[in-house]
Amino acid sequence: MLVGPTLPSMGQTEFEAKFEELKPGKTKVTFKNNLTEDSENNILRYEYFYNGGGVAVGDLDGDGLDDVFFTGNMVSNKLYKNLGNLKFEDITKSAGIAGKDSWTTGVSMADVNADGLLDIYVSYSGKGNEASRRNELWINEGNFKFVEKAAEYGIDDPANSTQALFFDFDRDGDLDLFLLNHHIQVITELEFDEVKKIRHPYAGDKLFRNDGGKFVDISEQAGIKGSALGFGLAVIASDINDDGWPDLLVTNDYIEPDYLYINQGDGTFRDQLTDHFQHISHFSMGADIADINNDGLKDIYTLDMLPEDNRRQKLLYGPENYEQYALMIKQGFYHQNMRNMLQVNQGSGQFAELGQLSGISNTDWSWSALFFDATNDGNKDLFVTNGYYRDYTNRDFLKYKGDYYFKQAVANEKADTLHLVTTMESTPVHNYFFENQGNLQFQNQSNTWGFDKKGFSSGAAYSDLDNDGDLDLIVSNLNESASIYENTTSKGNYLQIQLQGPTGNSFGIGTQVRVYLGEKLQAQEQQAVRGFQSSSTLRMQFGLGNSTLVDSLQITWPDGASQILHQIAGNQVLKLQHSEAKMQTGSPETSSTLFSKSKSIPDFVPDKNRFNDFKRQPLMLSMPGSINPALVSSDLNQDGIPEIFIGGAKGQKGEIYSFDGQNWTSFTGFTSSDEYTDASAIFADFNGDGWDDLFIVSGGYHDYLSSDESLQDRLYLNDQKGNLVLQENFPKYAVSGGPSLALDINQDGALDLFVGGKVIPGRYPLSPSSKVLINDGKGNFSDQSSTFLPEEGKLGMITAAISQDLNGDNFPDLILAGEYLPVSAWINENGKSFSNQTGSYFSENLSGWWSSLAQADMDGDGDLDLIAGNFGQNSQFEVSESKRLRLYAKDFDSNGSIDPILECFVGDQAYPFASRDELLDQMVGMRSKFTTYESYADAQMKDLFNQKDLESALVLEANTLNSYYFENTEQGFKAHPLPALAQAFPIYQILTQDFDHDGHVDLLLGGNQSQTRIRIGNMDAGLGLILKGNGKGQFQPLLPSQTGMAIKGDIKSILPLHVNQKSFLLFGIHGQALELYQSNEK
Amino acid sequence: MKSKSTLIIVFLLAFANSLAMANDEVNWPKIYKDELFHITKVMVTDVASPPVAARIYAYSNLASYLVMKNQGAAFRYPALDQNSLIGEISANANISLSSPEFSAIYALMTVGQGLMPSGYLLEEKKEAWIDFAIKSKIIKKKEVENHLAFANEIAQKVLAQAKADGYLQLPALTRYTPKEGPGNWYPTPPAYISAIEPEWRTIKTFFIPELNAYSGNPMAPYDLTPGSSFHTQMIEVYETGKNLTDEQRLIANFWDCNPFMVKFSGHMAIGVKKISPGGHWMGITGIVAEKAQISFAETAYIHAMVAMGLHDAFISCWETKYKTDRIRPETVINRELDQRWRPQLQTPPFPEYTSGHSVISRASAVILTGYFGDDFAFVDNSEVYFGLPEREFTSFLQASEEAAISRLYGGIHFRDAIEEGITQGEKIGKMIWKKVTKSELLITKK
Repeated sequence: MLVGPTLPSMGQTEFEAKFEELKPGKTKVTFKNNLTEDSENNILRYEYFYNGGGVAVGDLDGDGLDDVFFTGNMVSNKLYKNLGNLKFEDITKSAGIAGKDSWTTGVSMADVNADGLLDIYVSYSGKGNEASRRNELWINEGNFKFVEKAAEYGIDDPANSTQALFFDFDRDGDLDLFLLNHHIQVITELEFDEVKKIRHPYAGDKLFRNDGGKFVDISEQAGIKGSALGFGLAVIASDINDDGWPDLLVTNDYIEPDYLYINQGDGTFRDQLTDHFQHISHFSMGADIADINNDGLKDIYTLDMLPEDNRRQKLLYGPENYEQYALMIKQGFYHQNMRNMLQVNQGSGQFAELGQLSGISNTDWSWSALFFDATNDGNKDLFVTNGYYRDYTNRDFLKYKGDYYFKQAVANEKADTLHLVTTMESTPVHNYFFENQGNLQFQNQSNTWGFDKKGFSSGAAYSDLDNDGDLDLIVSNLNESASIYENTTSKGNYLQIQLQGPTGNSFGIGTQVRVYLGEKLQAQEQQAVRGFQSSSTLRMQFGLGNSTLVDSLQITWPDGASQILHQIAGNQVLKLQHSEAKMQTGSPETSSTLFSKSKSIPDFVPDKNRFNDFKRQPLMLSMPGSINPALVSSDLNQDGIPEIFIGGAKGQKGEIYSFDGQNWTSFTGFTSSDEYTDASAIFADFNGDGWDDLFIVSGGYHDYLSSDESLQDRLYLNDQKGNLVLQENFPKYAVSGGPSLALDINQDGALDLFVGGKVIPGRYPLSPSSKVLINDGKGNFSDQSSTFLPEEGKLGMITAAISQDLNGDNFPDLILAGEYLPVSAWINENGKSFSNQTGSYFSENLSGWWSSLAQADMDGDGDLDLIAGNFGQNSQFEVSESKRLRLYAKDFDSNGSIDPILECFVGDQAYPFASRDELLDQMVGMRSKFTTYESYADAQMKDLFNQKDLESALVLEANTLNSYYFENTEQGFKAHPLPALAQAFPIYQILTQDFDHDGHVDLLLGGNQSQTRIRIGNMDAGLGLILKGNGKGQFQPLLPSQTGMAIKGDIKSILPLHVNQKSFLLFGIHGQALELYQSNEK
Repeated sequence: MKSKSTLIIVFLLAFANSLAMANDEVNWPKIYKDELFHITKVMVTDVASPPVAARIYAYSNLASYLVMKNQGAAFRYPALDQNSLIGEISANANISLSSPEFSAIYALMTVGQGLMPSGYLLEEKKEAWIDFAIKSKIIKKKEVENHLAFANEIAQKVLAQAKADGYLQLPALTRYTPKEGPGNWYPTPPAYISAIEPEWRTIKTFFIPELNAYSGNPMAPYDLTPGSSFHTQMIEVYETGKNLTDEQRLIANFWDCNPFMVKFSGHMAIGVKKISPGGHWMGITGIVAEKAQISFAETAYIHAMVAMGLHDAFISCWETKYKTDRIRPETVINRELDQRWRPQLQTPPFPEYTSGHSVISRASAVILTGYFGDDFAFVDNSEVYFGLPEREFTSFLQASEEAAISRLYGGIHFRDAIEEGITQGEKIGKMIWKKVTKSELLITKK
């Protein structure tokens, strides 16, 4: 049975890309972006000194060949005429386009004056005066003659510009200008509130409306932010929400969040980033927007600085600072993490950030991102340039370079900061090339596809320079010759499209093109400005794979005119005229959703964990205390209306509500205490009187002692009037519990209990005790754990439990899962004990960070299959059988605290996960072992501890983080990973139900985790994911536009409710109001 | 019995001999100061926080003192170990050293090496010390071995003492979480460094039997009502900072003693380092020991006493800081008065009350006053390394007053934290003096 990719990928193995860097001597492209560092020009005076230059390509003379323009930061700009066959001629001089002698940044090509010829707009910045910074507009007069007319057009702006973007934002037929700028001074935290409110003339971004050839600055009225906090590094235009109006993504370096300007269609924009993204890149740099998974929706990718390898990460990571992070959130700077973010469009304005799942989150200090189909196989691949000339983020620099001042002082010599910074080491890195393998997976092919050379690259553009039907690359390098990469792939077929737009927008900027090959869709949008400081070809390129024919092609011009063409031959340049398209009438159909959100929720907002569990054990990965709210329901007073128990947490007691399908009312027959954290709960009739009683498992971490009275589990018996009475005779034990099951273990007719021990507060990851409690039939329980379970119930950190009769002996067996445990089978030996027989029921030993279990007959063969929720693949951890996670735990330094040291693979080697600061904070002895970040950068476990220590430590292992569907077969449970989107977040709750009423059981997966270490960041890609089952054990993810559900937050519990013929789903979300969805089933 | 006393006489003779020889040829206080500065330099590299630095000074100087004491050196005042909570530390080795001074310096550095993460950097300084001692004829080459053995014995005893003082247990304690009240401390710009050593009160003291008894007096409660003590003090810090005279600015910088000031420039951040407040007072101790030309043994004694005092003063002050958990002027002024106001000095990463520099400067000054007298004028050049001119002081107490008020000029403390800090420090200094010398030290506050 196959649970494979849900999206088609076209024979990715058939097309291996190969790029060859051509010698400057051969191409005659000898441009070098040389920097000269001196007392006037250096990083201390201008902090964007090493950002590098830009590239623009476009056919300037209409000869069918794209010409190339480079900006030089300190050297003269260069224009190369494309002579064909990858030969170029430097015609800078005759074109008169060298530009002025000041700091040059980005460049874009666009037909600004609407004469059909591409003009060139060059941006300037630096520390010079206004005149030196005024941007240039080179109007193309034909035959490679250019005249500078920025002032005439009103766009000789003196801002510190990064890049210009021409697009028709108001859809009036001409090109307007968005000018991306950056600040050139450091802004300290103190000034944030103040500068936020003020438009900065040189740092603030600007929008110019084209009023008949004269550009007018309308930034203020159009809602463009212009504060000095803006350190803009990329701007991309794209109709993100497919409403016909082009939107804008602006990435900002440092603390200022990126802007996602949604075009309001009335001449204004509104930054709606937080409506769409849940977390973003911190030091955002280059970016691109493209449909990366061929679903017709635009996905958004922003670059940051996180390195791929262990060594550079270790040199970079400082201490986790929860207070500073909290302050950043409080001041409105949103959730930012230092890594590339891939926001995959889920439709309906929802995005799931999948950068790590897709394998493109770590590309070091990155500048340019370009999605294009390098192999013509139909999937857009990804090229990323990177490199920074000085390793400023090296922690040793911060911590120990300052010694220089002291040493100079002691030696009675003058300190020279410039000397200090210009002697900093440079670490060249290779650019990245990722093959899009479909199914949201990108494979790093940098070394195999021709990008193994190390250096410092910045701006880049793609173009079919030699007109051979594939896209070549032009890359600007720092202090090295620019690179021309010829695409020499044995490639698939292609279709190129030349747009001939209406007057005013002759290159059809903003046009949407959809190409269909059978059911397979590819979508592109005509935008030249992508990546960083650069603009790529204006000829569109579609890869057709083995197909030589396009079934149909739909083009929609910016004014809404559209045209559909059928049966188009491949391997040609297709010219599409705006004049042949027609305006469309009629509105798009809207489809109904499975659920609708209900406004009726109880007035109970589950608390967020009030304690930072990491303050107790800083090396844990997520907070064990953040588990509320639990949700269970029963009709306690037998009035036909369900009562719902909402679990509490320390500081907030649990409550019960009644819900009649309309209103929630507080239920008075129950009181709890706010000392407890309710881990799980069961409504069941424990004393056989026909009325449901309540059992609550106490859990949590917080500041509980390991033997805290607040860890006591509680039994409430129903007085047959609906009042719940706490039973004092319930066995006394203090275990921070997790899951619980009511089951008749000894088949005496009374429900007994199994309680999974989850954690020992303060002693993670030592095993707590799980419990077996036997019922005498009257609700009197006895703790018989030591009889029923081995090792006093120390089974490991149990997080999930379900029960079924695995061996058909009518005694219910247990299936348990937990942290660093395999999904395991515990067989009930005739109601006398449980024995671990995992090997007989699971062919593979899959040990994970399991967090949930569910069972249902997914393939219609009459037995119960399993669904097991794990941590997922959307994190920095790469885990497999050969790349296991290992947690070594011991009080290594005998100071009374357990030192849990996690070892994980980065590449082919395993390293401790802890950063140097974290390790040194945990163990005093490590401070003299690793006196610099450098000394720790390559350290492995054997360098931290001696063999004896490692051998005597508790070692826990995990070999998978995938969530699985376990098919129940004759040979036991067979593991099939769930689809990619289900691997994008930790799953804490699974509901099996036929949500779409097609007769097949579906899955609803709830999860996410925001209570993580800062380095891990918020895991929030699960929006309440429904996997549609086909009755054969195969699953297809549904989008929010189909389910009607898009839940943001840490889903801890999902409760189905049926009241008065209506069906609901109630979601318990940590630290947020509950959410209620009503089924739209008629 | 008889043989033992003879032995002692031999000891004393040998000692007196070497001392006489040394005093003719070597400037012992200067050597002591210079060798101790090697330890200071490693602390600077390691960015030892102020309380951690004091702990290192205390144990390393204690070791050099104990070498001298166990070699029978005569001292002006009673023993430091016996009269402290740690009790007597004596050597087992029955060796008479030709140069106890040589061993004492070696023990000083060995303990420093054992306590500091980058202590290994002292290895070459120790080697250099041996070479220097042989070349300057302080010691003969063949005597080196038994001198090192004795030094190591004392050093290991002192290190064992340090190992049991609670420092190693700190990582086992729950980390600090800032409280959410409006008047509570919160990490400060620009680096928002987490609270430094919130559990320092759990470290063993040398002299203070009960921390509560030496806590700072109650502070002015957080109150933004104009006219309230807190409000008035906040305005004072704000206005003072806005109208600093050149002299005030100089004083603030002179006593800055911030081991790690973070300078940002875009992605680039550099930590600029200085000696800690304790380091500054160790410097002063060396300066005046040299000026007074006291013997090596006395130099070791007074360094150890001041350093142990520093350690206790820091523990006491830190206990008060995390108990009161008071907001820093920068935080409240930015929030309530003026977002652009910035203190002259970078705000250190721990709560405000009481002022650490005030407490430890006063405690040190009291001890130095007891030892050298009240009107001991000196020129403090400990900050010359950091581009600051020498400053002249007429007495230790005057210097401590200036160190205290410098925190107001620096914009990092309110007045009551300074004044009550002085009171707290004075109480600690006097108590230590009395415990050791059994005599009351009368100081009229100036």
